[in-house]
Amino acid sequence: MSKRIFPILPKPAKKTLSKPGPFADDARDLGRMTEFDATISGTARILRRQRDSRRHSLEQFEGDGGPRFIKLEGEETVIGRAPDAQVRLTSKRASRQHAFLRVRGTDCLIFDNDSHNGVFLNGVKVHSAVLRDGDVIQVADSVFVYSEA
Amino acid sequence: MPAFVKFWGTRGSIPTPASWTRVYGGNTSCVEVRFDDTIFVCDAGSGIRELGKDLIARQPAPERLHLLITHAHWDHIQGFPFFAPLYQPAIKIHVYGRRAEDDNPFRLLSGQMTSTYFPVSFHDVGASIIADHLDNGNKVIDGVLVRTFALNHSGGCIGYSFSKDGRKIVYATDNELEIQNGDLFPDLNDTSPLRQAPEELVAEAREADLLIADAQYDEQGYSTRKKWGHSCCFSATDLALRAKVKNLALFHHDPEDTDRAIDQKVLACRRRAARLGGRLVICAAREGVEMKF
Repeated sequence: MSKRIFPILPKPAKKTLSKPGPFADDARDLGRMTEFDATISGTARILRRQRDSRRHSLEQFEGDGGPRFIKLEGEETVIGRAPDAQVRLTSKRASRQHAFLRVRGTDCLIFDNDSHNGVFLNGVKVHSAVLRDGDVIQVADSVFVYSEA
Repeated sequence: MPAFVKFWGTRGSIPTPASWTRVYGGNTSCVEVRFDDTIFVCDAGSGIRELGKDLIARQPAPERLHLLITHAHWDHIQGFPFFAPLYQPAIKIHVYGRRAEDDNPFRLLSGQMTSTYFPVSFHDVGASIIADHLDNGNKVIDGVLVRTFALNHSGGCIGYSFSKDGRKIVYATDNELEIQNGDLFPDLNDTSPLRQAPEELVAEAREADLLIADAQYDEQGYSTRKKWGHSCCFSATDLALRAKVKNLALFHHDPEDTDRAIDQKVLACRRRAARLGGRLVICAAREGVEMKF
């Protein structure tokens, strides 16, 4: 009798979604699995997909409009005094479109839009930067902490 | 016209990808210095790979690049074969020697692409690679004055300064500012007077908008690695203070240094500069950060 090398894993329970949830797209995609995808369980595939994306947010703890929590959604977020800026500031030290936040891949980047008073990252003036969890961003009189999850 | 400096690789000695190097980065030396459309690439450590990808994605993509190598230690040339513009036929890459007939940098870069080390030959890449030279160490390239100066590193190393329209950027990595035993500070909070620095180096860095300086160690780290060719962060701070530079970027981070350790070095250097009365802005060079001067 041959010796079994690999342990027998319990069969994963069949998951059904009664209404569209956060993984609804993934659940629908299970029906279009490629041969390669079929080698891993649906749950593992969903988790793997989540690993490829991050949730980005800012927490403002100083300055006008704060304190507030800002979820960064979409490809671009404008910080500034312009009425249509997603993160609107009223300080006269802020330019109308002072800075942009852009999501590229799993990273979030900040760009100074040639503002008059600049963008400071952890106390140092920068033109652009890839943000990291816990970074402190100062725009005019407002101070934000960046988080990624 | 402003000058832009972007850090693509800030780590010394060997690439160090790890969760604890995520903030400052794990790629080895590569810094982009840009004046208008003129792009200088300082060193070809592993950081040059990301720079290459970024360059060919730019609109319009650059047609000409100026590559300046400080010296041929691995961490300064190892990324070159993975530099995407190498494989773009429309791009010209000038590789500079210090003087006419000094084709050392060109030979060193091509040498690491022989079949023993790398599958693609230097002669089979698409770009035009031009063995160019500075004129006895200095040259005006597209209106930017590029100067070179000697640094203290085993095997020799050269630093570069870039000046145009009143903006000055100085790149001085892999440089040991030597300290005698008695002059070592016991901790990171010392208030001792300014350390000496070579006059030539102070002159080259004088009143720079940004000095990118070797600051691999703290005092303790330096005490056990003398003559390894790198400086401690307080010596770099003192050099910057002596030269009255405006901004100092601590560079060539030790592969053992965590992000937290680098943060602590920056804070200690800021405290020292403040105590000595300087108005110097100090940061640690960080991958993905671009500064404008």
